[in-house]
Amino acid sequence: MQSLEMFVRCLQSEWIKQKRSLGSWLTIVGALFTPGIVLVARLLHYRTLPTLYAADDFWQSMWRSSWESMAVFFAPMAAILATSLVAQIEYRNNAWKQVCALPLSSATLYFGKLLVVLALIAQFFIFFDVSVYISAVIPCLLRLAPYPHAPLPLHAFLTDTVQYAIATLPIVCAEYLLSIQFKNFLVPVGVGFLAWVAALASLSWKYGYLIPYAYSIMTYLQSYPKQALPVPALPLRWLVSAYTMGFCITGYVLFVRKRVRG
Amino acid sequence: MVKPRIYLKTCLQTAHLYHRYAPGREVLTDLNLAVPEGSIYGFVGPNGAGKTTTLRLLLGLLRRQQGAISLFGRDLDSDRIEILRKIGSLIEGPSLYEHLTATENLRVTQMIYRSPRQRLAEVLELVGLSAAREKLVSEFSLGMKQRLAIGVAILHRPALLILDEPTNGLDPNGIVDMRRLLKQLNQEHGTTILVSSHLLSEVERLATHLGIVHHGRLLFQGTLDELRRRRSERTQAWVSTSDDEAALKLIRQLQPLPEAVRIDDGRIRLASWTRGELAVLNRRLVNEGFDVYELGSQAGSLETIFMEMVAPDAIAGDVRSLSAK
Repeated sequence: MQSLEMFVRCLQSEWIKQKRSLGSWLTIVGALFTPGIVLVARLLHYRTLPTLYAADDFWQSMWRSSWESMAVFFAPMAAILATSLVAQIEYRNNAWKQVCALPLSSATLYFGKLLVVLALIAQFFIFFDVSVYISAVIPCLLRLAPYPHAPLPLHAFLTDTVQYAIATLPIVCAEYLLSIQFKNFLVPVGVGFLAWVAALASLSWKYGYLIPYAYSIMTYLQSYPKQALPVPALPLRWLVSAYTMGFCITGYVLFVRKRVRG
Repeated sequence: MVKPRIYLKTCLQTAHLYHRYAPGREVLTDLNLAVPEGSIYGFVGPNGAGKTTTLRLLLGLLRRQQGAISLFGRDLDSDRIEILRKIGSLIEGPSLYEHLTATENLRVTQMIYRSPRQRLAEVLELVGLSAAREKLVSEFSLGMKQRLAIGVAILHRPALLILDEPTNGLDPNGIVDMRRLLKQLNQEHGTTILVSSHLLSEVERLATHLGIVHHGRLLFQGTLDELRRRRSERTQAWVSTSDDEAALKLIRQLQPLPEAVRIDDGRIRLASWTRGELAVLNRRLVNEGFDVYELGSQAGSLETIFMEMVAPDAIAGDVRSLSAK
Protein backbone atom coordinates (compact mmCIF):
# COMPACT_ATOMS: atom_id res chain seq x y z
CA MET A 1 0.00 0.00 0.00
CA GLN A 2 2.83 2.33 0.95
CA SER A 3 4.64 1.39 -2.26
CA LEU A 4 1.57 2.30 -4.28
CA GLU A 5 1.33 5.64 -2.49
CA MET A 6 5.00 6.34 -3.23
CA PHE A 7 4.45 5.39 -6.86
CA VAL A 8 1.58 7.86 -7.14
CA ARG A 9 3.70 10.58 -5.50
CA CYS A 10 6.49 9.81 -7.95
CA LEU A 11 4.05 10.11 -10.88
CA GLN A 12 2.81 13.49 -9.65
CA SER A 13 6.37 14.68 -9.22
CA GLU A 14 7.39 13.45 -12.68
CA TRP A 15 4.34 15.07 -14.25
CA ILE A 16 5.32 18.49 -12.87
CA LYS A 17 8.67 18.14 -14.66
CA GLN A 18 6.87 17.86 -17.99
CA LYS A 19 5.39 21.33 -17.65
CA ARG A 20 6.80 23.57 -20.41
CA SER A 21 9.19 20.79 -21.38
CA LEU A 22 10.21 20.21 -24.98
CA GLY A 23 8.77 16.69 -24.83
CA SER A 24 5.29 17.89 -23.92
CA TRP A 25 5.36 20.65 -26.56
CA LEU A 26 6.44 18.10 -29.13
CA THR A 27 3.44 15.86 -28.45
CA ILE A 28 1.11 18.82 -28.99
CA VAL A 29 2.78 20.21 -32.11
CA GLY A 30 3.30 16.72 -33.59
CA ALA A 31 -0.34 15.81 -33.02
CA LEU A 32 -1.63 18.99 -34.65
CA PHE A 33 0.71 18.96 -37.62
CA THR A 34 -0.97 16.52 -40.05
CA PRO A 35 -4.57 17.63 -39.36
CA GLY A 36 -3.33 21.22 -39.73
CA ILE A 37 -1.80 20.48 -43.13
CA VAL A 38 -4.95 18.64 -44.24
CA LEU A 39 -7.06 21.61 -43.14
CA VAL A 40 -4.90 24.13 -45.00
CA ALA A 41 -5.00 22.00 -48.16
CA ARG A 42 -8.79 21.81 -47.95
CA LEU A 43 -9.19 25.51 -47.41
CA LEU A 44 -6.99 26.16 -50.43
CA HIS A 45 -9.20 23.86 -52.53
CA TYR A 46 -12.47 24.94 -50.92
CA ARG A 47 -14.46 24.59 -54.17
CA THR A 48 -14.13 20.79 -54.00
CA LEU A 49 -15.29 20.60 -50.38
CA PRO A 50 -19.08 20.27 -50.86
CA THR A 51 -18.61 17.13 -52.98
CA LEU A 52 -16.01 15.74 -50.60
CA TYR A 53 -18.15 16.29 -47.51
CA ALA A 54 -21.22 14.76 -49.15
CA ALA A 55 -19.45 11.43 -49.76
CA ASP A 56 -20.70 8.40 -47.80
CA ASP A 57 -17.16 7.45 -46.80
CA PHE A 58 -16.12 10.97 -45.85
CA TRP A 59 -14.94 10.06 -42.35
CA GLN A 60 -13.09 6.92 -43.47
CA SER A 61 -11.27 8.80 -46.19
CA MET A 62 -10.43 11.67 -43.83
CA TRP A 63 -9.18 9.17 -41.24
CA ARG A 64 -7.06 7.28 -43.74
CA SER A 65 -5.39 10.36 -45.18
CA SER A 66 -4.66 11.71 -41.71
CA TRP A 67 -3.21 8.44 -40.44
CA GLU A 68 -0.97 7.84 -43.44
CA SER A 69 1.74 10.28 -42.38
CA MET A 70 0.97 9.73 -38.72
CA ALA A 71 1.50 5.95 -38.72
CA VAL A 72 4.50 6.04 -41.03
CA PHE A 73 6.33 9.09 -39.75
CA PHE A 74 4.87 11.12 -36.88
CA ALA A 75 3.97 8.32 -34.46
CA PRO A 76 7.42 6.64 -34.56
CA MET A 77 9.16 10.02 -34.45
CA ALA A 78 7.02 11.20 -31.53
CA ALA A 79 7.79 7.99 -29.67
CA ILE A 80 11.53 8.40 -30.33
CA LEU A 81 11.76 12.10 -29.54
CA ALA A 82 9.28 12.38 -26.66
CA THR A 83 10.81 9.42 -24.85
CA SER A 84 14.36 10.68 -25.32
CA LEU A 85 13.42 14.19 -24.25
CA VAL A 86 11.70 13.03 -21.07
CA ALA A 87 14.76 11.10 -19.92
CA GLN A 88 17.00 13.91 -21.14
CA ILE A 89 15.38 16.32 -18.67
CA GLU A 90 17.39 14.67 -15.88
CA TYR A 91 20.67 14.62 -17.79
CA ARG A 92 20.32 18.18 -19.09
CA ASN A 93 19.63 19.53 -15.61
CA ASN A 94 22.24 17.32 -13.96
CA ALA A 95 19.42 15.98 -11.81
CA TRP A 96 19.82 12.19 -11.87
CA LYS A 97 21.89 12.33 -8.70
CA GLN A 98 19.10 14.20 -6.95
CA VAL A 99 16.42 11.86 -8.28
CA CYS A 100 18.37 8.79 -7.19
CA ALA A 101 18.87 10.25 -3.71
CA LEU A 102 15.09 10.45 -3.19
CA PRO A 103 13.53 7.89 -0.86
CA LEU A 104 12.11 5.88 -3.75
CA SER A 105 12.83 2.35 -4.90
CA SER A 106 14.50 1.76 -8.25
CA ALA A 107 11.27 0.23 -9.55
CA THR A 108 9.29 3.33 -8.58
CA LEU A 109 11.80 5.62 -10.24
CA TYR A 110 12.06 3.57 -13.42
CA PHE A 111 8.42 2.72 -13.97
CA GLY A 112 7.16 6.08 -12.70
CA LYS A 113 9.06 7.91 -15.40
CA LEU A 114 8.10 5.31 -18.00
CA LEU A 115 4.44 5.76 -17.14
CA VAL A 116 4.78 9.52 -17.63
CA VAL A 117 6.29 8.88 -21.07
CA LEU A 118 3.36 6.61 -21.89
CA ALA A 119 0.94 9.28 -20.68
CA LEU A 120 2.59 11.78 -23.02
CA ILE A 121 2.30 9.34 -25.92
CA ALA A 122 -1.37 8.74 -25.04
CA GLN A 123 -1.87 12.50 -24.93
CA PHE A 124 -0.26 12.72 -28.36
CA PHE A 125 -2.75 10.25 -29.88
CA ILE A 126 -5.74 11.86 -28.14
CA PHE A 127 -4.73 15.32 -29.36
CA PHE A 128 -4.32 13.87 -32.84
CA ASP A 129 -7.81 12.31 -32.87
CA VAL A 130 -9.40 15.48 -31.57
CA SER A 131 -7.53 17.65 -34.06
CA VAL A 132 -8.54 15.34 -36.95
CA TYR A 133 -12.17 15.89 -35.99
CA ILE A 134 -11.70 19.65 -35.55
CA SER A 135 -9.94 19.94 -38.90
CA ALA A 136 -12.94 18.23 -40.49
CA VAL A 137 -15.44 20.50 -38.77
CA ILE A 138 -13.74 23.87 -39.34
CA PRO A 139 -14.75 24.12 -43.05
CA CYS A 140 -18.34 23.47 -41.96
CA LEU A 141 -18.14 26.24 -39.36
CA LEU A 142 -16.75 28.53 -42.07
CA ARG A 143 -19.74 27.53 -44.23
CA LEU A 144 -17.46 26.19 -46.96
CA ALA A 145 -19.02 22.72 -46.74
CA PRO A 146 -22.03 21.04 -45.16
CA TYR A 147 -21.53 18.90 -42.04
CA PRO A 148 -20.98 15.31 -43.32
CA HIS A 149 -24.19 13.31 -43.33
CA ALA A 150 -22.28 10.06 -42.84
CA PRO A 151 -22.25 9.00 -39.17
CA LEU A 152 -18.96 9.40 -37.33
CA PRO A 153 -17.55 5.86 -36.75
CA LEU A 154 -16.26 6.79 -33.32
CA HIS A 155 -15.82 3.25 -32.02
CA ALA A 156 -13.81 2.17 -35.06
CA PHE A 157 -11.64 5.25 -34.79
CA LEU A 158 -10.93 4.69 -31.11
CA THR A 159 -10.09 1.04 -31.76
CA ASP A 160 -7.68 2.07 -34.52
CA THR A 161 -6.07 4.67 -32.24
CA VAL A 162 -5.51 2.12 -29.48
CA GLN A 163 -3.96 -0.28 -32.01
CA TYR A 164 -1.56 2.37 -33.28
CA ALA A 165 -0.67 3.40 -29.74
CA ILE A 166 0.08 -0.21 -28.80
CA ALA A 167 2.16 -0.61 -31.96
CA THR A 168 4.46 2.21 -30.83
CA LEU A 169 5.11 0.62 -27.40
CA PRO A 170 8.22 -1.32 -28.49
CA ILE A 171 9.69 1.94 -29.79
CA VAL A 172 8.90 3.73 -26.52
CA CYS A 173 10.44 0.99 -24.38
CA ALA A 174 13.54 0.65 -26.57
CA GLU A 175 14.06 4.41 -26.59
CA TYR A 176 13.50 4.61 -22.84
CA LEU A 177 16.13 1.95 -22.26
CA LEU A 178 18.64 3.87 -24.41
CA SER A 179 17.76 7.29 -23.00
CA ILE A 180 18.29 6.18 -19.42
CA GLN A 181 21.56 4.44 -20.24
CA PHE A 182 23.19 7.11 -22.37
CA LYS A 183 23.73 10.70 -21.33
CA ASN A 184 24.23 11.79 -24.92
CA PHE A 185 20.86 12.64 -26.44
CA LEU A 186 22.13 11.71 -29.91
CA VAL A 187 22.40 8.03 -28.99
CA PRO A 188 18.67 7.27 -28.52
CA VAL A 189 17.64 9.68 -31.27
CA GLY A 190 20.26 8.39 -33.72
CA VAL A 191 19.53 4.74 -33.00
CA GLY A 192 15.81 5.43 -33.22
CA PHE A 193 16.09 7.21 -36.54
CA LEU A 194 18.30 4.51 -38.05
CA ALA A 195 15.97 1.79 -36.81
CA TRP A 196 13.01 3.62 -38.33
CA VAL A 197 14.81 3.91 -41.70
CA ALA A 198 15.68 0.22 -41.46
CA ALA A 199 12.03 -0.59 -40.73
CA LEU A 200 10.88 1.39 -43.76
CA ALA A 201 13.47 -0.22 -46.00
CA SER A 202 12.59 -3.72 -44.79
CA LEU A 203 8.83 -3.57 -45.17
CA SER A 204 8.79 -5.84 -48.20
CA TRP A 205 11.48 -8.14 -46.79
CA LYS A 206 10.07 -11.40 -45.46
CA TYR A 207 11.70 -10.84 -42.05
CA GLY A 208 10.90 -7.13 -41.92
CA TYR A 209 8.33 -7.83 -39.21
CA LEU A 210 11.19 -8.57 -36.80
CA ILE A 211 12.18 -4.89 -36.66
CA PRO A 212 10.33 -3.43 -33.66
CA TYR A 213 10.19 0.08 -35.12
CA ALA A 214 8.01 -1.14 -38.02
CA TYR A 215 4.80 -1.97 -36.21
CA SER A 216 2.87 1.29 -36.50
CA ILE A 217 3.67 1.35 -40.23
CA MET A 218 2.66 -2.29 -40.59
CA THR A 219 -0.54 -1.70 -38.62
CA TYR A 220 -1.47 1.02 -41.09
CA LEU A 221 -0.55 -1.00 -44.17
CA GLN A 222 -2.34 -4.11 -42.94
CA SER A 223 -5.55 -2.10 -42.61
CA TYR A 224 -5.54 -1.57 -46.34
CA PRO A 225 -5.30 -4.91 -48.13
CA LYS A 226 -4.23 -3.40 -51.44
CA GLN A 227 -0.84 -2.65 -49.79
CA ALA A 228 0.66 -6.14 -50.07
CA LEU A 229 3.07 -7.00 -47.25
CA PRO A 230 4.80 -10.28 -46.45
CA VAL A 231 2.72 -12.08 -43.83
CA PRO A 232 4.52 -12.17 -40.45
CA ALA A 233 5.25 -15.63 -39.05
CA LEU A 234 3.70 -14.47 -35.77
CA PRO A 235 0.76 -12.19 -35.09
CA LEU A 236 1.88 -8.57 -34.75
CA ARG A 237 0.36 -8.23 -31.28
CA TRP A 238 2.56 -11.08 -30.01
CA LEU A 239 5.66 -9.46 -31.43
CA VAL A 240 4.64 -6.10 -30.00
CA SER A 241 4.08 -7.65 -26.55
CA ALA A 242 7.34 -9.60 -26.64
CA TYR A 243 9.46 -6.61 -27.66
CA THR A 244 7.70 -4.29 -25.21
CA MET A 245 8.26 -6.66 -22.29
CA GLY A 246 11.79 -7.47 -23.41
CA PHE A 247 12.92 -3.84 -23.70
CA CYS A 248 11.09 -2.85 -20.54
CA ILE A 249 12.61 -5.56 -18.36
CA THR A 250 16.09 -5.23 -19.89
CA GLY A 251 15.98 -1.47 -19.31
CA TYR A 252 14.97 -1.96 -15.69
CA VAL A 253 17.70 -4.52 -15.02
CA LEU A 254 20.32 -2.22 -16.56
CA PHE A 255 19.00 0.70 -14.51
CA VAL A 256 19.16 -1.26 -11.25
CA ARG A 257 22.64 -2.58 -12.02
CA LYS A 258 24.11 0.83 -12.80
CA ARG A 259 27.22 1.26 -10.68
CA VAL A 260 27.16 5.04 -10.81
CA ARG A 261 23.90 6.93 -10.56
CA GLY A 262 23.66 10.54 -11.46
CA MET B 1 45.64 6.47 10.05
CA VAL B 2 42.62 7.59 12.04
CA LYS B 3 40.87 4.87 14.02
CA PRO B 4 37.07 4.73 14.16
CA ARG B 5 35.81 7.01 16.92
CA ILE B 6 32.79 6.29 19.00
CA TYR B 7 30.45 9.12 19.96
CA LEU B 8 27.50 8.79 22.26
CA LYS B 9 25.20 9.76 19.44
CA THR B 10 26.57 9.36 15.98
CA CYS B 11 24.38 10.39 13.12
CA LEU B 12 26.57 8.95 10.40
CA GLN B 13 29.33 6.41 10.55
CA THR B 14 31.46 4.64 8.02
CA ALA B 15 33.67 1.71 8.91
CA HIS B 16 36.65 0.66 6.84
CA LEU B 17 35.24 2.13 3.67
CA TYR B 18 37.23 1.40 0.54
CA HIS B 19 36.40 2.35 -3.03
CA ARG B 20 38.16 2.11 -6.34
CA TYR B 21 37.05 3.11 -9.84
CA ALA B 22 39.58 0.83 -11.50
CA PRO B 23 41.79 -2.01 -10.24
CA GLY B 24 44.75 -0.60 -8.37
CA ARG B 25 43.30 2.91 -8.26
CA GLU B 26 42.04 3.28 -4.70
CA VAL B 27 39.93 6.39 -4.25
CA LEU B 28 39.07 5.69 -0.62
CA THR B 29 41.20 3.68 1.78
CA ASP B 30 39.91 2.54 5.15
CA LEU B 31 37.77 5.62 5.67
CA ASN B 32 36.21 5.77 9.13
CA LEU B 33 33.97 8.78 9.40
CA ALA B 34 31.95 9.58 12.50
CA VAL B 35 29.61 12.54 12.27
CA PRO B 36 28.10 13.39 15.66
CA GLU B 37 24.43 14.24 15.82
CA GLY B 38 23.78 17.98 15.85
CA SER B 39 27.23 18.86 14.55
CA ILE B 40 28.36 20.77 11.52
CA TYR B 41 30.99 18.42 10.17
CA GLY B 42 33.46 19.93 7.74
CA PHE B 43 34.80 17.31 5.37
CA VAL B 44 37.92 18.91 4.00
CA GLY B 45 40.47 17.84 1.47
CA PRO B 46 42.10 18.96 -1.75
CA ASN B 47 40.42 18.34 -5.09
CA GLY B 48 40.48 14.64 -5.89
CA ALA B 49 40.89 13.63 -2.23
CA GLY B 50 37.77 11.45 -2.34
CA LYS B 51 35.21 13.80 -0.79
CA THR B 52 32.56 13.57 -3.48
CA THR B 53 33.06 9.81 -3.81
CA THR B 54 32.43 9.49 -0.07
CA LEU B 55 29.30 11.63 -0.20
CA ARG B 56 28.00 9.69 -3.21
CA LEU B 57 28.54 6.44 -1.33
CA LEU B 58 26.66 7.84 1.66
CA LEU B 59 23.66 8.57 -0.55
CA GLY B 60 23.80 5.26 -2.39
CA LEU B 61 24.66 6.97 -5.68
CA LEU B 62 27.69 4.72 -5.95
CA ARG B 63 27.57 1.05 -5.22
CA ARG B 64 29.53 0.29 -2.05
CA GLN B 65 32.46 -2.06 -2.65
CA GLN B 66 33.91 -2.63 0.81
CA GLY B 67 33.19 -1.40 4.31
CA ALA B 68 30.01 -0.41 6.09
CA ILE B 69 27.89 2.72 6.15
CA SER B 70 25.32 3.43 8.81
CA LEU B 71 23.11 6.46 9.25
CA PHE B 72 20.84 7.08 12.21
CA GLY B 73 22.00 3.73 13.55
CA ARG B 74 20.73 1.86 10.50
CA ASP B 75 22.59 0.08 7.76
CA LEU B 76 22.43 1.95 4.45
CA ASP B 77 22.06 -1.20 2.36
CA SER B 78 19.12 -2.65 4.24
CA ASP B 79 17.26 0.58 5.14
CA ARG B 80 18.20 2.85 2.26
CA ILE B 81 14.75 4.31 1.61
CA GLU B 82 14.00 4.95 5.29
CA ILE B 83 17.39 6.61 5.69
CA LEU B 84 17.01 8.78 2.59
CA ARG B 85 13.71 10.10 3.95
CA LYS B 86 15.72 11.89 6.66
CA ILE B 87 18.44 13.26 4.38
CA GLY B 88 18.64 16.35 2.23
CA SER B 89 21.52 16.63 -0.19
CA LEU B 90 23.30 18.82 -2.66
CA ILE B 91 26.01 16.99 -4.58
CA GLU B 92 28.31 18.62 -7.16
CA GLY B 93 26.28 21.72 -7.88
CA PRO B 94 22.56 22.40 -8.05
CA SER B 95 20.23 19.85 -9.64
CA LEU B 96 17.35 22.04 -10.73
CA TYR B 97 14.92 21.91 -13.63
CA GLU B 98 15.67 25.05 -15.56
CA HIS B 99 12.36 25.09 -17.47
CA LEU B 100 10.45 25.24 -14.18
CA THR B 101 10.01 28.10 -11.73
CA ALA B 102 11.51 28.12 -8.24
CA THR B 103 8.16 27.10 -6.74
CA GLU B 104 7.68 24.31 -9.28
CA ASN B 105 11.15 22.97 -8.52
CA LEU B 106 10.22 22.79 -4.85
CA ARG B 107 6.90 21.15 -5.77
CA VAL B 108 8.76 18.33 -7.55
CA THR B 109 10.34 17.42 -4.22
CA GLN B 110 7.32 18.33 -2.11
CA MET B 111 5.27 15.72 -3.97
CA ILE B 112 7.66 12.98 -2.87
CA TYR B 113 7.91 14.00 0.78
CA ARG B 114 4.31 15.23 1.07
CA SER B 115 5.52 18.33 2.87
CA PRO B 116 2.77 20.84 3.68
CA ARG B 117 2.08 23.35 0.90
CA GLN B 118 2.91 26.35 3.13
CA ARG B 119 6.40 24.92 3.56
CA LEU B 120 7.23 26.09 0.01
CA ALA B 121 6.81 29.74 0.96
CA GLU B 122 8.71 29.20 4.23
CA VAL B 123 11.66 27.67 2.43
CA LEU B 124 11.73 30.34 -0.27
CA GLU B 125 11.74 32.94 2.50
CA LEU B 126 14.51 31.11 4.34
CA VAL B 127 16.78 31.01 1.29
CA GLY B 128 15.88 34.57 0.30
CA LEU B 129 14.10 33.74 -2.93
CA SER B 130 10.53 34.80 -2.13
CA ALA B 131 10.64 37.56 -4.74
CA ALA B 132 11.80 35.12 -7.42
CA ARG B 133 9.35 32.33 -6.66
CA GLU B 134 7.61 32.50 -10.05
CA LYS B 135 10.78 33.12 -12.04
CA LEU B 136 12.14 30.39 -14.29
CA VAL B 137 15.30 28.84 -12.88
CA SER B 138 17.01 29.32 -16.27
CA GLU B 139 16.97 33.05 -15.43
CA PHE B 140 18.65 32.55 -12.05
CA SER B 141 22.23 33.46 -11.22
CA LEU B 142 24.49 30.69 -9.90
CA GLY B 143 24.11 32.03 -6.38
CA MET B 144 20.31 31.91 -6.64
CA LYS B 145 20.45 28.39 -8.03
CA GLN B 146 22.70 27.32 -5.19
CA ARG B 147 20.30 28.80 -2.63
CA LEU B 148 17.30 27.17 -4.29
CA ALA B 149 19.12 23.84 -4.33
CA ILE B 150 19.64 24.23 -0.58
CA GLY B 151 15.94 25.04 -0.33
CA VAL B 152 15.09 21.80 -2.14
CA ALA B 153 17.40 19.90 0.21
CA ILE B 154 15.84 21.31 3.40
CA LEU B 155 12.21 21.29 2.23
CA HIS B 156 11.29 18.17 4.18
CA ARG B 157 13.18 19.26 7.32
CA PRO B 158 15.87 16.59 7.04
CA ALA B 159 17.73 15.46 10.13
CA LEU B 160 20.95 15.31 8.11
CA LEU B 161 22.02 17.66 5.35
CA ILE B 162 24.81 16.50 3.05
CA LEU B 163 26.33 19.34 1.05
CA ASP B 164 29.16 18.99 -1.43
CA GLU B 165 31.06 22.27 -1.79
CA PRO B 166 27.92 24.40 -1.43
CA THR B 167 29.79 27.69 -1.74
CA ASN B 168 31.39 26.85 -5.09
CA GLY B 169 30.87 29.71 -7.49
CA LEU B 170 29.33 32.03 -4.92
CA ASP B 171 30.48 35.62 -4.46
CA PRO B 172 31.68 36.72 -0.99
CA ASN B 173 28.20 37.92 -0.01
CA GLY B 174 26.71 34.64 -1.16
CA ILE B 175 29.27 32.71 0.89
CA VAL B 176 28.44 34.73 4.02
CA ASP B 177 24.70 34.22 3.43
CA MET B 178 25.18 30.49 2.91
CA ARG B 179 27.21 30.21 6.10
CA ARG B 180 24.56 32.10 8.04
CA LEU B 181 21.81 29.88 6.65
CA LEU B 182 23.63 26.67 7.54
CA LYS B 183 24.36 27.88 11.07
CA GLN B 184 20.73 28.85 11.46
CA LEU B 185 19.56 25.41 10.32
CA ASN B 186 21.97 23.77 12.71
CA GLN B 187 21.24 25.93 15.73
CA GLU B 188 17.51 26.52 15.35
CA HIS B 189 16.42 23.22 13.84
CA GLY B 190 19.12 20.91 15.13
CA THR B 191 20.00 19.75 11.63
CA THR B 192 23.23 17.80 11.44
CA ILE B 193 25.23 19.10 8.51
CA LEU B 194 27.99 17.34 6.63
CA VAL B 195 29.63 19.88 4.37
CA SER B 196 32.58 19.22 2.12
CA SER B 197 35.07 21.80 0.96
CA HIS B 198 38.58 22.03 -0.37
CA LEU B 199 39.16 25.18 1.70
CA LEU B 200 39.79 24.76 5.40
CA SER B 201 39.52 28.52 5.90
CA GLU B 202 35.96 28.32 4.59
CA VAL B 203 34.93 25.42 6.80
CA GLU B 204 36.62 26.56 10.03
CA ARG B 205 34.19 29.48 10.26
CA LEU B 206 31.28 27.13 10.13
CA ALA B 207 32.12 23.66 11.37
CA THR B 208 32.14 22.27 14.88
CA HIS B 209 33.87 19.08 13.75
CA LEU B 210 36.36 18.36 11.03
CA GLY B 211 37.49 15.45 8.95
CA ILE B 212 40.56 16.01 6.80
CA VAL B 213 40.90 13.62 3.90
CA HIS B 214 43.73 13.23 1.44
CA HIS B 215 44.32 10.56 -1.20
CA GLY B 216 41.25 8.80 0.18
CA ARG B 217 42.63 8.54 3.72
CA LEU B 218 41.28 10.32 6.74
CA LEU B 219 44.22 12.22 8.22
CA PHE B 220 42.40 13.97 11.03
CA GLN B 221 39.01 13.72 12.63
CA GLY B 222 37.84 15.62 15.64
CA THR B 223 36.52 18.89 16.88
CA LEU B 224 37.75 22.22 15.68
CA ASP B 225 39.15 22.79 19.18
CA GLU B 226 41.27 19.66 18.87
CA LEU B 227 42.72 20.99 15.64
CA ARG B 228 43.29 24.38 17.24
CA ARG B 229 45.17 22.72 20.10
CA ARG B 230 47.36 21.08 17.53
CA ARG B 231 47.97 24.51 16.06
CA SER B 232 49.08 25.99 19.40
CA GLU B 233 51.63 23.20 19.78
CA ARG B 234 53.35 24.18 16.58
CA THR B 235 54.67 27.67 16.06
CA GLN B 236 56.24 29.49 13.19
CA ALA B 237 59.21 31.43 14.58
CA TRP B 238 61.92 33.71 13.27
CA VAL B 239 65.14 35.16 14.56
CA SER B 240 67.33 37.99 13.37
CA THR B 241 70.91 38.31 14.58
CA SER B 242 74.09 40.33 14.03
CA ASP B 243 75.41 37.52 11.75
CA ASP B 244 72.60 35.45 10.29
CA GLU B 245 74.86 33.25 8.15
CA ALA B 246 76.90 32.11 11.18
CA ALA B 247 73.75 31.83 13.29
CA LEU B 248 72.20 29.59 10.66
CA LYS B 249 75.20 27.26 10.83
CA LEU B 250 74.96 27.18 14.60
CA ILE B 251 71.24 26.46 14.50
CA ARG B 252 71.82 23.56 12.13
CA GLN B 253 74.33 22.08 14.56
CA LEU B 254 71.83 22.13 17.39
CA GLN B 255 70.37 18.74 18.06
CA PRO B 256 67.61 17.64 18.29
CA LEU B 257 66.24 21.00 17.21
CA PRO B 258 64.44 20.87 13.88
CA GLU B 259 65.54 22.35 10.63
CA ALA B 260 65.99 26.12 10.41
CA VAL B 261 65.52 28.16 7.31
CA ARG B 262 67.00 31.38 6.06
CA ILE B 263 64.38 33.44 4.33
CA ASP B 264 64.50 36.30 1.85
CA ASP B 265 63.91 39.21 4.12
CA GLY B 266 67.10 38.59 6.06
CA ARG B 267 65.53 36.77 8.97
CA ILE B 268 65.99 33.12 9.87
CA ARG B 269 62.73 31.32 9.78
CA LEU B 270 62.24 28.41 12.18
CA ALA B 271 59.53 25.97 11.33
CA SER B 272 57.50 24.13 13.98
CA TRP B 273 59.47 25.10 17.08
CA THR B 274 58.02 24.98 20.55
CA ARG B 275 58.39 27.90 22.94
CA GLY B 276 60.88 25.94 25.08
CA GLU B 277 63.05 25.20 22.08
CA LEU B 278 63.07 28.87 21.16
CA ALA B 279 64.23 29.81 24.68
CA VAL B 280 67.12 27.31 24.43
CA LEU B 281 68.06 28.74 21.05
CA ASN B 282 68.04 32.29 22.33
CA ARG B 283 70.29 31.41 25.27
CA ARG B 284 72.71 29.58 22.99
CA LEU B 285 72.91 32.42 20.50
CA VAL B 286 73.62 34.96 23.20
CA ASN B 287 76.21 32.67 24.83
CA GLU B 288 77.92 32.30 21.45
CA GLY B 289 78.21 36.08 21.16
CA PHE B 290 75.48 36.82 18.71
CA ASP B 291 73.41 39.96 19.11
CA VAL B 292 69.80 38.83 18.86
CA TYR B 293 67.84 41.71 17.30
CA GLU B 294 64.56 39.96 16.96
CA LEU B 295 63.06 36.67 18.12
CA GLY B 296 59.37 36.11 17.49
CA SER B 297 56.85 33.36 17.10
CA GLN B 298 53.34 32.94 15.85
CA ALA B 299 50.98 30.01 16.10
CA GLY B 300 50.59 28.25 12.75
CA SER B 301 47.30 28.87 10.97
CA LEU B 302 44.85 26.03 10.51
CA GLU B 303 45.59 26.32 6.83
CA THR B 304 49.29 25.64 7.54
CA ILE B 305 48.40 22.59 9.59
CA PHE B 306 46.10 21.44 6.83
CA MET B 307 48.84 21.91 4.26
CA GLU B 308 51.30 20.03 6.46
CA MET B 309 48.83 17.17 6.58
CA VAL B 310 47.88 17.01 2.94
CA ALA B 311 51.11 18.13 1.30
CA PRO B 312 54.04 17.55 3.68
CA ASP B 313 56.35 16.86 0.75
CA ALA B 314 55.47 20.14 -0.89
CA ILE B 315 56.08 22.02 2.34
CA ALA B 316 59.37 20.23 2.93
CA GLY B 317 60.37 21.05 -0.63
CA ASP B 318 59.41 24.62 -0.05
CA VAL B 319 61.52 24.65 3.13
CA ARG B 320 64.49 23.09 1.34
CA SER B 321 64.34 25.57 -1.50
CA LEU B 322 64.19 28.45 0.92
CA SER B 323 67.07 26.98 2.85
CA ALA B 324 69.16 26.77 -0.30
CA LYS B 325 68.77 30.49 -1.03
